[in-house]
Amino acid sequence: MTTRGKLARRAFPSRRFNASGAISHVSVAACLLVGDIGAPAAHATEPSIQLAQQGGAPGYDPMRRGIGRPTQRGEPAPPGNPELGDLPDAPGAEDTYYLCSACHSIALVTQQRLTDERWNYLWDWMVREQGMPDQDEETREAILNYLQTHFSSER
Amino acid sequence: MAVHGQKGQVEQILTRADIRTAYHEDPEGAEQRLFGRISCPDRRSFLKNAGLAALGAALGAAMPFHRNFPAGLMPIAFAQDTGAALMKEKDGLTVLADRPLNAETPAHLLDDDLTPYSRLFIRSNGLIPQTALDKNAEGWTLKIDGEVDNELSLSLDDLKNDFENVTLALVLECAGNGRAFFDPGASGNQWTVGAVGCPEWTGVRLRDVLEKAGIKPSAVYTGHYGNDVDISGDQDKVVISRGVPIEKAREPETLIVWAMNGEDLPALHGFPLRLVIPGYPGSASQKFLTRIWVRDQVHDGEKMGGHSYRLPAYPVAPGTEVPEEDMEILTVMPVKSIVTAPATGSNVPAGQATEVRGHAWAGSGDVKAMHVSLDFGQSWQEATLEPPRNKFAWQRWRANVTPPEKGYYEVWARATDMNDVMQPPVAPGWNPRGYGNNIIHRIALFAQ
Repeated sequence: MTTRGKLARRAFPSRRFNASGAISHVSVAACLLVGDIGAPAAHATEPSIQLAQQGGAPGYDPMRRGIGRPTQRGEPAPPGNPELGDLPDAPGAEDTYYLCSACHSIALVTQQRLTDERWNYLWDWMVREQGMPDQDEETREAILNYLQTHFSSER
Repeated sequence: MAVHGQKGQVEQILTRADIRTAYHEDPEGAEQRLFGRISCPDRRSFLKNAGLAALGAALGAAMPFHRNFPAGLMPIAFAQDTGAALMKEKDGLTVLADRPLNAETPAHLLDDDLTPYSRLFIRSNGLIPQTALDKNAEGWTLKIDGEVDNELSLSLDDLKNDFENVTLALVLECAGNGRAFFDPGASGNQWTVGAVGCPEWTGVRLRDVLEKAGIKPSAVYTGHYGNDVDISGDQDKVVISRGVPIEKAREPETLIVWAMNGEDLPALHGFPLRLVIPGYPGSASQKFLTRIWVRDQVHDGEKMGGHSYRLPAYPVAPGTEVPEEDMEILTVMPVKSIVTAPATGSNVPAGQATEVRGHAWAGSGDVKAMHVSLDFGQSWQEATLEPPRNKFAWQRWRANVTPPEKGYYEVWARATDMNDVMQPPVAPGWNPRGYGNNIIHRIALFAQ
């Protein structure tokens, strides 16, 4: 079984769809024609939402200095992968995507820059209070490493 | 609704309600008709390519393990809406997350005296209940129980007919508004300045309702409940249930409302009934309100504990991990203001006066003064400040600024409340979840 499958199973044994359904984004704006449907083809149920880190304000916004800074040390962040909700491609990205997006927008992850310790705390909080099934040590480490490498205020 | 696509194809736009109805009537037939899935004897089957694509499009995500998905079972994602389709009724909001749906308004779109529906931020903790999406208030009741002499179960008509109706302009602000400006970052949606608005609300005073129920001397706190749905789809899970001290509940501006700007509450903002508790974090203003539980102790509902809507009991260095037992409930929101015109980055004439304006408000209900600076805070000029149309409405401020020569300028705007507390130029009071950031709002002007 793939990593993705294992994780989805471990994460949501009784909600198979929730875990696996959060996979690779397909624009609902895509035009589809489904054959054999009798009535006209099925189309999207909800319009695609443009997730934006930047507001719609025109021009330069001094309030945005310091928000979402690029990494200050080390390698520049790899570009976001649209297949993974714009998470940067790196070890742990897939696991992070499938686990987190099973419950909420991946945008909630990518817009945050927390301390390393706070990512650890949030993991435990999600297990303790939000019903996230705990993962094995290897998965936990892979995902937390990934979050702390790419979405930490400490590097 | 049929629409013509780019290639002249006629497409059927299905709502989630349509899909639910189809599955309800004939699950396997619905799959076959909607997505081209044909069940095999083992009740597993493959979706044909086009069917898989259609299902993916309807879900907003592909379904790689579709082979394992039992035939005739409706994907849980169709069971409840995020409300995303209603974003088309909004004007220029920045979506921070789509599940649950959270969106803020750029400052220059908050210039109206009364914030219209199209420009009011969206803060959802869960999914939008079907009753709200359907605008169906049939049989809706509000229960008042707990530390009262007479439990009440009130219909919307009871509320409208049995109590004095009140219309007030009241500021609603997310406790995490400004969270993006904390460093290190604080967890949650990264609101900048636009998780705030001041519509006009119509309803009844919570205190009138509490008095009719007869609050006992033992009452110290309220606990609020609504019928929103957890993002997991679990109908039994309470999404958020917060409350306020009984003294706040009894203030004359604390309302139970059914209308915003003269219209029924929109689905995204709590149809058919919500609380508006001005001056407190928006989370206290429960949407989709079904029950107010009067407590003899501080309410301990969902998101009342831990780090939720709570601040450290003592100032901490940015990034400090604060033990939960050292956290206290956030109540009164701090004094704050925004610049709503011109839009940041605008060109203005050098050597001539330009009007800048915005709004100011304070959780204590009073703003005393408003100042602006055009030289990065080295000197300040007093702005005119209009009185609020009622307590807890925001106050319009205006000032004329004159850039002396061509170049880059920033307007810094600073409100001062009746206790002489003023907005700081840097983010104050770092806290783990990033609440109550009333940092001065700055916009850029380019003088030509």
